[in-house]
Amino acid sequence: MSASYVAVGWNRQKKIYDWLIAGFCFTYLLLFISVTLIVNEQVTFETLLIRSTSTLAVLLLHVILAIGPLCRLDKKFLPLLYNRRHLGVTMFTFALAHGGFSIFQFHALGNTNPFVSLFISNTNFNSFAAFPFQALGFFALLIFFLMAITSHDFWLHNLSPRVWKTLHMFVYLAYLLVVMHVMLGVIQYENNPVFVIIILAGAVTLITLHLLAGSKERKLDKRKFSLEQEGFMYVCPAEEIEDSRAKIFCIDKERIAVYRHENKLYAIHNVCKHQGGPLGEGKILDGCITCPWHGYQYLPHNGQSPPPFKEKVSTYDVKIIDGKVWLNPVPFPEGTERPGATIK
Amino acid sequence: MIFITTILIIMALYLLAGLVFAIPFVIKGVAVIDEGARGSSWGFRLIIIPGVTVFWPVLLNKWLHASKIKRS
Ligand code: HEM
Ligand code: FES
Repeated sequence: MSASYVAVGWNRQKKIYDWLIAGFCFTYLLLFISVTLIVNEQVTFETLLIRSTSTLAVLLLHVILAIGPLCRLDKKFLPLLYNRRHLGVTMFTFALAHGGFSIFQFHALGNTNPFVSLFISNTNFNSFAAFPFQALGFFALLIFFLMAITSHDFWLHNLSPRVWKTLHMFVYLAYLLVVMHVMLGVIQYENNPVFVIIILAGAVTLITLHLLAGSKERKLDKRKFSLEQEGFMYVCPAEEIEDSRAKIFCIDKERIAVYRHENKLYAIHNVCKHQGGPLGEGKILDGCITCPWHGYQYLPHNGQSPPPFKEKVSTYDVKIIDGKVWLNPVPFPEGTERPGATIK
Repeated sequence: MIFITTILIIMALYLLAGLVFAIPFVIKGVAVIDEGARGSSWGFRLIIIPGVTVFWPVLLNKWLHASKIKRS
């Protein structure tokens, strides 16, 4: 939020997360190197470095891309999302190591500048079997680089959330480039199809997860509210909303979270000011609505972050008549105080 | 070959300019354009340098605007 920035926002949970990432990467590299050495004794040290870092980066990339849809399908996965950016920066570091070692190994030993060599040593752009797959890897790495250097929240605020989000959506283009890089590269180096099969299985998994999550979301958005009275829509019985939790309603394309806090209902815009997290999937902690993604907080009665923070979201009017919740989907300006509705 | 070399040289110059810009920016500029950076740690200022080196025109523009508003 907007109190003074720190380099890395570590807390206990994030530290545990980062230790797990480090432990996982270390174990993976160790396993990969030992298994390769057992299976293929002639393997060179350079090849070991290039291949262990590249496969680790691709593995992490799949985890990163799966976290979004998994969280939409099941809240159990939310802890993974909490610190996804550290996972992203870790992935970039290993991809950079792989790209760096490859450029060194294949391009730095001649007289040409290695970056020039990367693009001119193979110009079979219209051949499938001999395609310059390394250029694809280079552009993917460039996208990961731009994402990694803008991962601090400072960039979210100063490039504007829209630009930042767009930039980070390029991860899907980068993923596509990586898939092509691996497939086209492997057919030049290996005749074992196992790499291609693994990469395809990964792609099928990711596409399926995204489709499932998307269709779940669309079903929620399509729910029709037909009972209307003086601008208020009937949404649900009051007892359906658990204490300190919310239900999300999508009316006229506005996503609204109706929270229950100390026997009152309050409605605020469902979209978090940080990165658009679904506020209605969070809960109330210390009297504040807490975003499930990275923990930004808002007061239920006015949609404002508690001082010294300055984020604000829109608020809405709710009322309860005979135990039924009625919601007015016309937003009040961000941060407007609303009385809420008392549950009898 | 000349084409790629030219692009690389232009890119290198652009990044070099960004690196030079980054020095006054992290010392003074950040706090002018973003109040969240007032009194922030050195770790934070160092960690944004790679991004400043790439996105410096955006930040320069913001910095110029911010100081114009202050003066008027
Ligand atoms: C400048 C950027 C890059 C260059 C020059 C490059 C170069 C290479 C080369 C030469 C190979 C074949 C290595 C061998 O097995 O002997 C390769 C394979 C591979 N690359 Fe890249 N690459 C780059 C970026 C990336 C990125 C960003 C990723 C994914 C995050 C990636 C993932 C892989 C994978 C999974 C393989 C197959 C396994 C392997 O052989 O290492 N590469 N790359
Ligand atoms: S989206 Fe990051 S805290 Fe809400």
